[in-house]
Amino acid sequence: MQTYLTLMLLFPLAGGLTCALAGRKLPRQAVEILACAAVWGSFVCAALAAASYAAPQTVTLGGWFSSFDLLIPISLYLDPLSLSLAVMIGFVCGLIHVYAVFYMRKEGDYARFFALLNIFVFAMLTLVLAESLPLLYLGWEGVGFCSYLLIGFWYTDKNNADAGRKAFITTRIGDTALVIALAWMFQLFGTLSITQLNGMGFLMPGSIVTAIGILFLIAAMGKSAQVPLMVWLPDAMAGPTPVSAMIHAATMVTAGVYLLSRMYPLIGSSATAMATIAVTGGVTAFYGATCALAQRDLKRVLAFSTISQIGYMMLGVGAGAVTAATFHLLVHAFFKALLFLGAGCVITAMHHEQDIFKMGGLRKTLPLTFWCYLAGAACLAGLPLTGGFFSKDSILVALWHKGGTLYQSLYALALLTALITAYYSFRMVYLVFGGSDGHKHVHVELKFMQLVLIPLAILGLFGGVLNLPSYIGEGFLTRFFAGLAGGAAVEGTHTEELALQAVAATIALAGLLAAYVRYGKGRSQRLLEAKAYPTAMAAFLLNGWYFDRLYQAVLIRPYQALSGVLWQKVDEGVIDDSLDRLAGGLGFSGSWLGRWSTGRVSIYIVSFAAGGALMLGYLAWLAL
Amino acid sequence: METTLFYILSAVTVFGTLCAITARQAVRAIVYLVTSFFALALIFYILGAPLVAAFEVIIYAGAIMVLFLFVIMMLELGSPEKLPKPRLADWWPAVILFLAVVGSVTVIAASRQPAIAPGFTAISVREFSQALFTRYGIAVEAISMQLLFALVGALYLGRRR
Amino acid sequence: MSVPLSHVLILASVLFAMGLGCVVAWRANVIMMLIGIEIMLNAVMLTFVGGSAHWGIADGQLFALMIMALTSAEVSLALAMVVYLHRRKGSVNTDDFDSMKG
Repeated sequence: MQTYLTLMLLFPLAGGLTCALAGRKLPRQAVEILACAAVWGSFVCAALAAASYAAPQTVTLGGWFSSFDLLIPISLYLDPLSLSLAVMIGFVCGLIHVYAVFYMRKEGDYARFFALLNIFVFAMLTLVLAESLPLLYLGWEGVGFCSYLLIGFWYTDKNNADAGRKAFITTRIGDTALVIALAWMFQLFGTLSITQLNGMGFLMPGSIVTAIGILFLIAAMGKSAQVPLMVWLPDAMAGPTPVSAMIHAATMVTAGVYLLSRMYPLIGSSATAMATIAVTGGVTAFYGATCALAQRDLKRVLAFSTISQIGYMMLGVGAGAVTAATFHLLVHAFFKALLFLGAGCVITAMHHEQDIFKMGGLRKTLPLTFWCYLAGAACLAGLPLTGGFFSKDSILVALWHKGGTLYQSLYALALLTALITAYYSFRMVYLVFGGSDGHKHVHVELKFMQLVLIPLAILGLFGGVLNLPSYIGEGFLTRFFAGLAGGAAVEGTHTEELALQAVAATIALAGLLAAYVRYGKGRSQRLLEAKAYPTAMAAFLLNGWYFDRLYQAVLIRPYQALSGVLWQKVDEGVIDDSLDRLAGGLGFSGSWLGRWSTGRVSIYIVSFAAGGALMLGYLAWLAL
Repeated sequence: METTLFYILSAVTVFGTLCAITARQAVRAIVYLVTSFFALALIFYILGAPLVAAFEVIIYAGAIMVLFLFVIMMLELGSPEKLPKPRLADWWPAVILFLAVVGSVTVIAASRQPAIAPGFTAISVREFSQALFTRYGIAVEAISMQLLFALVGALYLGRRR
Repeated sequence: MSVPLSHVLILASVLFAMGLGCVVAWRANVIMMLIGIEIMLNAVMLTFVGGSAHWGIADGQLFALMIMALTSAEVSLALAMVVYLHRRKGSVNTDDFDSMKG
């Protein structure tokens, strides 16, 4: 087991380092094959580890810190949660690497790209497998750093570089909260081992657990783009599409959910923290869905839908259903990666046009992409019997069973969100693929890129078998996660469950119908409308509820003003000025004293001799 | 007898030096100075340092002063009489310094008056040479290096360009 | 011989002070300044020799000899510099060489 885990981490690290250090010297194909092989090797290790998995296990690879009572070993923890995520990461990232090979065919700087992708996989696996929180934090920062570099991959364009910075700085707020939580927990418990911490929650009063839970939540908000720290994710779409698929849809952004699931045994005992998590998730899900309604940029639609879907996962964690949240996380990784990769195909075929109102007719010209994309959209919308339906439904069921006013209203909000989700998913499908005014531009690469979509589409559509509802058969994940805290299945009668699923299915179909009526039939009319100036409501949604402007006004402007004052008044006015004056005074006195050095030897000699005579005279005076 | 000679020679030395530093021309100053150094060499001899006395005559009065003379001739100063002389005002600091130094040293020397006792002992050339080439061997080497550097430096400074 | 050491020292100090006075007074002629330095060095030699004779140790005389060697090195360099400076400025007045003025 140790071999598998070590190799799982070392493959992408070695691949990334080789690409980074020697990538420019190697031929392009060698780099591509190396990068893909590293990730697939990692996946094979994960699969082997899964095959030989018996019980949760801690593997210590070596020591890192060991001073006084601070012990941070490099140890990995394999349990159902980390194992399922590791397998998913290996598989999805492997597929995306293959896709990226063809997507980035024309790109010159392939070595940097693949080096970063591989290092990202390494960091993500470190995050998932870490047993001690500092190691997790290392992976956490590692993925953030790779994300920053990959968002700004085309850094010559200022917008891209700005988007990278925005993502980095925004997530940093969350990272700070995580560090505070880590330091505080070390002070409280004297250990940073996740397994030990999870068993120690009862030692502390509820208020402290709540505070720690909220700190973790803030960390998750930053990384998983939850309200109010979600503003970076839509802009992060400036990166190459494979990057968006891998980092900003499938893996990194779900790290927050993973963190909360991981620490659930500790923070789950605080009802307040759980409720906060749930409310954050619910609001985010609703926010993301509404914003996705009005977006015109294909990738931004997907970005907002990612925000929304992660909101669902948070909702699941908040409802205490770690299994459901992880289930949705896995299935979401498949179908959202599928949607992004499909979007990448579409964008390539459309000559890098991203406005969905300018697309259309691709159903006939890109049939393979269309069918796969349709599968992804169906999962996203939660159409019955797709993977997305089951996973989303398990969260809804968990919410329903949690009971209480708060969770019931969150259930209602989640249902409303589901309706909107179905609506915007098919709005997107109709606008992109419907109609007949299609034109396309087929590259050779596009054929290979489309092939990658197929396994993802199959996994997305049939991802439900991972955890079928109990009336059909026992869920695999439920059994697998049974040992985990918060992994227990929610109990309920089959009838009740069927009824809830029927409601969810109805809602999803209603959304589909509404989208069909508005964009399927009246597509041409909508295209005409789109040319007009957007209504106030649409503009509100298009700009993400004007959160960017709000932050601009509330945070950035005052900060800039303060910086300006500090710069011009304090720094230049006081510090620089006083230093200037000091330097001027010193210079003046120096040049005044400099007149003493006349350069005339005679004066020097006289003063020197006078000094000597003075000393002699003093000695004589002493002798008298 | 030697005591008397010492005081006479002292007077000669001081007088010669006085003439040298107040001489109107550098050439005259050097001639006065040679006189003074001869007297000084004799004082060295009286003080039991025959080697030093010999070197004083050979190197100082012989070589160095001649070097001065050569340089004065080389400089082609035209008419040396027209060179600026120290004015009377320039002598005041010199006189004050002179008085201060001599006065101080006299006071110090007079206040520490322990030994008339053993008188002066002559040091033989053998003793001198042994000390020079055994204990101070490294110093001799260093001095020889320094002379070499001085030679190189003087050549460098003196070449025409 | 019964000259006290103090008299030798006083003679040396007189010579030294005269050399000093020469250096201070003859600022107009760098050669005279060098002569003043020679006088001072001779005074120091006298002190050394006197001390050597007083305590009966050869070291004082050795140092006198070394001073002589040092002086010859110094004088050769200094006079070369005088020649050089005179060639550049056409003057032996020390006050003309003030290019290191602050």
